[in-house]
Amino acid sequence: MTVSDMQTDGLDMDRAITSIVIVGGGTAGWLAACLIAARADRDAEHPLQVTLIESPDVATIGVGEGTWPTMRRTLERIGISETEFLLVCDAAFKQGSRFDGWRTGAADDRYLHPFTTPAEAAARDLASAWSDSGLAFAEALCAQHAVCSQDLAPRQRAMPDYAGTLNYAYHLDAGKFAALLARHATERLGVRHLRDHVVGVDGAADGDIAAVRTRASGRIEGDLFLDCTGHAALLIGEHYGVGTIDRGRELFNDRALAVQLPVAADSPIASQTNATAHAAGWIWDIGLPARRGIGCVYSSAHLDDDAAADTLTRYLRATAPDAPLPDFRPLRFQSRHRDRFWHRNCLAIGLSAGFLEPLEASAIVLVELSVDALLDNFPATRRTMDLHAARFNTLFRYRWDRIVEFLKLHYVLSQRDEPYWRDHRDPGSIPPRLAELLQLWADQPPSHADFPMVDEIFPAASYQYVLYGMGFSAPRRTPVRTGARGAADMLVQQVDRHGRMLAAALPTNRAYLDALRHAMTSATMETRA
Amino acid sequence: MPDHAILTPEEHRDLRIRTDRSDALGDAVMACITVPSEFRRVQTHYPILFQRDQTRDGFTALAMFGFEAGENLFLEGGRWDARYRPLAIDSQPFLVGRGPEGSSLRQVHIDMASPRIGAGEGMRVFDDTGRPTPFLERIADQLRALDEDYVAATAFFAALQRHDLLEPLTLDVTLEDGSKNRLVGYHVIDEDRLEALDPASVAELHAEGHLLPIFMALASLGQIGDLVARKNRRLAHG
Repeated sequence: MTVSDMQTDGLDMDRAITSIVIVGGGTAGWLAACLIAARADRDAEHPLQVTLIESPDVATIGVGEGTWPTMRRTLERIGISETEFLLVCDAAFKQGSRFDGWRTGAADDRYLHPFTTPAEAAARDLASAWSDSGLAFAEALCAQHAVCSQDLAPRQRAMPDYAGTLNYAYHLDAGKFAALLARHATERLGVRHLRDHVVGVDGAADGDIAAVRTRASGRIEGDLFLDCTGHAALLIGEHYGVGTIDRGRELFNDRALAVQLPVAADSPIASQTNATAHAAGWIWDIGLPARRGIGCVYSSAHLDDDAAADTLTRYLRATAPDAPLPDFRPLRFQSRHRDRFWHRNCLAIGLSAGFLEPLEASAIVLVELSVDALLDNFPATRRTMDLHAARFNTLFRYRWDRIVEFLKLHYVLSQRDEPYWRDHRDPGSIPPRLAELLQLWADQPPSHADFPMVDEIFPAASYQYVLYGMGFSAPRRTPVRTGARGAADMLVQQVDRHGRMLAAALPTNRAYLDALRHAMTSATMETRA
Repeated sequence: MPDHAILTPEEHRDLRIRTDRSDALGDAVMACITVPSEFRRVQTHYPILFQRDQTRDGFTALAMFGFEAGENLFLEGGRWDARYRPLAIDSQPFLVGRGPEGSSLRQVHIDMASPRIGAGEGMRVFDDTGRPTPFLERIADQLRALDEDYVAATAFFAALQRHDLLEPLTLDVTLEDGSKNRLVGYHVIDEDRLEALDPASVAELHAEGHLLPIFMALASLGQIGDLVARKNRRLAHG
């Protein structure tokens, strides 16, 4: 018996957790590697060692071209400058999502869900100020509406990195993003990178994973294993057999056709993801400096592949009449997640933990939140790991449930008449908690009382934007007053003035990103000269 | 070579103005004109000195930023290190224009040759519908104040001369590195004469609204010490 066998036999529950092995080199794996290595204390008694094993055989999927505003904090923590990130990832600013045709499908049917929360006031006062204004909810109560409608950036170049006058996230080229993270992790953060194929898992006597076996490098031992192997779920699924929970009953979409269109050098860049509803799903449209990423998401039970291709073709013809039609890349997925994410010394992060349809771009943010949760409550020794795992599983089950409910909210209020949309309104497809909330919201607006956790994944404001954007009525007056009478009336005027101020001060996305690129090019030339 | 144009939504719909502060944008000046109504705000940062007009029959008030031509000691790394900037420099590159001959109408003019004329970045003057932005509304307020008070300033200086309250100033400043700086050709309020004014004259100055700016201008001379300190800091840091 070797020393390492003794340790993995569970004899040493008090050994420090120092060696973290990440299996999988996609966005999830590299993001996790960067976050862990960046927050590791190099002067610790037992410093963390991060090893990432990336299979040369497996192509990465490159989840999501949209992030959440959390990405600003993540990049800052990792130590990548905003300029480098924007330029290297061909990224642009995302300030929210616009939903076209979700309510009725009529030509003027659209609403915005901006990232910036509405003007500061009690939820009930907001709702009443909005309903008196005669404007759309986001337009009346959030200056970001004016900024998005003019394709403006959320910040000026002179502002410090990652600060904006408005809350914002990014659209990015996922392939370039993973490459940037990989370079940053290995060159600047000291992450050990193994290009090798994992061929098996060695279990310890106590049931932990002792090591993964690789084709060329032999056994790679570790204290904690992160399963970032995507849909394959080599560790959490294949090795441990942890089951999944199907969310297809609530969220029907299971296929997509994706396409990329190059754009003209001086074309406007949209400030938000545009999501356009169709008969059996929706189409994403994401603007980057050099291209638009477009995809038709649909439910195969409601629409066959040819009809989906027709739908996408019609959209492309309408929004880019002069562009030649490229080939469509078909994608299949299921909305489902693990029933546990952290089992023994194995934590699933990324697609191995689960995937929900791409509405509201929840994939990358779940990676960030998972790693943050791991690091904020890091198990110092093996003895406490199961306690941390149980807490993590409770927290993330709560979060996945909330995401499912929030995504479902986009569908249940539609008045569209196609079978797909009618099926979405079938009470059997609506999560019971969401059904209860909808009853409450007839009398009172979504508020903190509905979302009591400290770190709610979607704040009440997001529910307000979607609920009222979809045409839900402002609540009736109740006998109990909230804020001072009249204060709410000022809100709409203040928002309008703020919106005009921002519109005067902010450059367009195109002007901002071009100036950034130009400044970088001239700086490089000066350095060379 | 200035290129003055009348500002209109038709001509300048997409115009953007750079509001950052630097030598290249024309901020490297040792002084700018100020008017009595803003002396109270100006004296919180800048010495106010008076200078005889070219025609030598009147005076102009100046807010001082430095000791020699082209020196602005408030300009540091792309920002202006003070909470308040005098209207005349803050409203650039806009100016007050006169309407057609005989009209009392004032127009907003703009110097299209100014380096502040931005490309894709900066503050917009009009929005997409041609409505003035809050930025332009503020500029228009500043220009209005400047224009009205520039006229009022004539009465202010006439009163100072009537009561013989101006005295020439020659200021010699020795800096920490031993070098000498000299400010010549300026005037300040003659404090002794001010103290000796008879009650009727004080009441007259007060009734005409000149007393407050007189005392603000006097108080502003305390900022010369701040200007010297800025100069010393700059010398120390190369």
